[in-house]
Amino acid sequence: MLQKVAARIHPTTWWLLAIVLAVIAGTASALWQTAAIGALSIALILLFRENATWARSLGFYLTLAAAVIVIRILFRMVFSFSSDEDQILFHLPALTLNLGLGEINLFGNVSLRSIMGAVLDGSRLAAIILAVAIANTLANPKKLLKSAPGALYEIATSVSVAINLAPQLIESFNRVRRARSLRGRSKRTGQLAGILIPVLEDTLDRSLLMAASMDARGFGRRSAQSAGELLAARTLGLAGLVLNLVGIFILLSGFNVALALVLLACGLLSAGIGVRITSKRNARTSIGRTARTGLDFLIYLACTLALVINFSGLVGV
Amino acid sequence: MISLKNFTFSYGSSDEPRLSRVNLDISAGEFVLVCGATGSGKSTLLRALVGLVPHFTGGIASGKRTIDGQDFSTAMPHETAHLIGYVNQQPEGAFVADTVLEELAFALEQLGVPRDQMIERVDAALAATGLTELRNRKLVELSGGQQQRVAIAAALSAGQKILILDEPTSALDPTSAHELLEFIHELCRTQNLTAIIAEHRIERLIDLVDSVIIVNNDATVSHGKPAEQLAKFAFVPPLIELAQELRWQPIEMNIESATKRFAAEFKNQPRKIAHLELGKVLLSAKDVVVDYANLRAVDHVSFEARAGEVIAVMGENGSGKTSLLWALQGQNPSLDEIAMVPQQAADLLFLSSLSDELSDSDEVARAKPTSTASLLEQFTSRLDPAIHPRDLSSGQQLALVLAMQLVKNAPVVLLDEPTRGLDYATKKQVASVIRDLAAAGKCIIFASHDVEFVAQTADRVIQLEAGRVIADEPVEQALGWHSDNALASQIAQISKLPGVIALQQVVGNE
Repeated sequence: MLQKVAARIHPTTWWLLAIVLAVIAGTASALWQTAAIGALSIALILLFRENATWARSLGFYLTLAAAVIVIRILFRMVFSFSSDEDQILFHLPALTLNLGLGEINLFGNVSLRSIMGAVLDGSRLAAIILAVAIANTLANPKKLLKSAPGALYEIATSVSVAINLAPQLIESFNRVRRARSLRGRSKRTGQLAGILIPVLEDTLDRSLLMAASMDARGFGRRSAQSAGELLAARTLGLAGLVLNLVGIFILLSGFNVALALVLLACGLLSAGIGVRITSKRNARTSIGRTARTGLDFLIYLACTLALVINFSGLVGV
Repeated sequence: MISLKNFTFSYGSSDEPRLSRVNLDISAGEFVLVCGATGSGKSTLLRALVGLVPHFTGGIASGKRTIDGQDFSTAMPHETAHLIGYVNQQPEGAFVADTVLEELAFALEQLGVPRDQMIERVDAALAATGLTELRNRKLVELSGGQQQRVAIAAALSAGQKILILDEPTSALDPTSAHELLEFIHELCRTQNLTAIIAEHRIERLIDLVDSVIIVNNDATVSHGKPAEQLAKFAFVPPLIELAQELRWQPIEMNIESATKRFAAEFKNQPRKIAHLELGKVLLSAKDVVVDYANLRAVDHVSFEARAGEVIAVMGENGSGKTSLLWALQGQNPSLDEIAMVPQQAADLLFLSSLSDELSDSDEVARAKPTSTASLLEQFTSRLDPAIHPRDLSSGQQLALVLAMQLVKNAPVVLLDEPTRGLDYATKKQVASVIRDLAAAGKCIIFASHDVEFVAQTADRVIQLEAGRVIADEPVEQALGWHSDNALASQIAQISKLPGVIALQQVVGNE
């Protein structure tokens, strides 16, 4: 049931939600906030994930998040900066290193406060990781690519075909490894080369087969575009790139923030128009383009509200 | 509808042409079979018709290609995508989408068909191919036969009037293959579709096609009525071979008429299949079970195999044949006891020249130098030792891997689909190799869909269904004539004599 709902939500919406949660997690100042965001992320993933390859990575993200917290705590124990006024949790034998660059104190007293600080820091990162996991497990990458603008269609299709091929690569790897064991141990090449060569060969064959089949089905057709339009699109694209670079430079140098923002806006606009013009070149249509529904706008609203509450809260503090 | 005029193609200016001065004219609604020996250029011809040759292969092409009177000699394949639908040998490897609906819509999307029309056309294509209830299913969940149908539906979804198929049935069991070909035949009759189809197993569509194109080994091509074309063709199924052997004029093209003629003319006593004296038990399987995540592939299979015995494992796609062979192999991990040739034999090849592969094989098997090479020579004509193993034809690769595995001199040999994509002549060679091995006291177990090959080769047939053994009987019984036996060989169907399944039982004198 919920999976069906999830399939109707636009993939960019999941990404937006993930980014908003990550931003809130990044500014969180209390453990309960990061814990809440982490729990919310896990709950969303468990409730909405589809039965698909990209949706099976929650375990990986959970491990990564846990590892981040543990590493943070371990680091804090090694480079403990506890002052003596703090409540000391336990003592470790202190170690003072002098490498000619001044003394470094390792281990020693470990205070409750420093550990709590490490947990908060770690949980903040962990919450960001879990928030990103929402996007990666719930947004169908192929649908996301389909909502790419027409000018990027060829690239987007290549990427989505590559995603399709990835599981086949694993399958052919396993098949070849199994077949390889039938031959007996050869002294000529290492075990790896004996597997890689047939797998690469297989992949190359498959790619050529796929390319031929896609071309025979009309991939790469385009409608004629006038030289003027092409020139305009390229000029606009280049201008956008230059404006953006200059804008970023000025922004980072702190010379004039307002000017930088204006330049960046112009650059983005120019590049956008360029892509628009190139997109017209494709006479292509699409059957599966996911439209945004009320559900998407509901999520946008929730995101905005969350951001407003979060930042007004920050300001209030 | 589609024609080639004076079409010549070669990979380089100094190379032998792969297609030489081809003249073809195929009319609308025609169902055409393309046949030829392994490596003769059947696929090249089909790809030339689609426009993939020379655009996707490199090489030099000259001549004219017209579709519906329009000249498309230099057109890229995507420029004719609205006219020709093309399905290659492994459609499952060429799917671009993950659901049936999206796969069918792909060509329409490329052609810029508006969305509402697109859905109409997809639904029409689904209805025409009988796939309506699979509309929203994932492609990976479908069976091989269904996937093949989806590929055809996808190739025709934009209303293409020409369908070009490269060996669509090579991976299908007899029942699925028959259904698929009947279905294409039906499309030709009802929708006036022009279908051009390359196929090794001529027997599967011999009485369905309107004409036959033969690609000869000298790169020339001839096109004509099936009976005339096949009367002189060397790579033919038992039905035609029988007619050739008994000097029937004209040859009979379908089982029914051949049956009548055979009943009227055949007066001799058919010979019995010569089985070898069996030796000791070499392999004994007891309650073999293979489980995958949510599927039991092999379910309590038990049998014994003796020296001098050739056992064919048959069954529909997904019935557990391959899993059973791997399980048998896995029970005796020592390569000295069991040798196996997997379905994709080329997976075993990874060195850069034939001579390297051969000498490495001798070393691995601790055999005398050139042992593998002399075995290989029994199966194929002499090969250039410097050739890259990947450049060998699939039949030659199979022969090489077979030689590499046999040189280990294991008493039990397992073969998984050893005849996939081979022509009749090569199949006969493989069959005689297998019989020789059995005569030398080995035990051979192979999985196959190929009824005619099994009839020539096996002593005993084990039939699997959903991982269980449903029959384990002598070959004469498994492939012999009795009512509604889907596995009856052509000779069994024609002769209607008990225990007669192979050509050599009814022709020639001994």
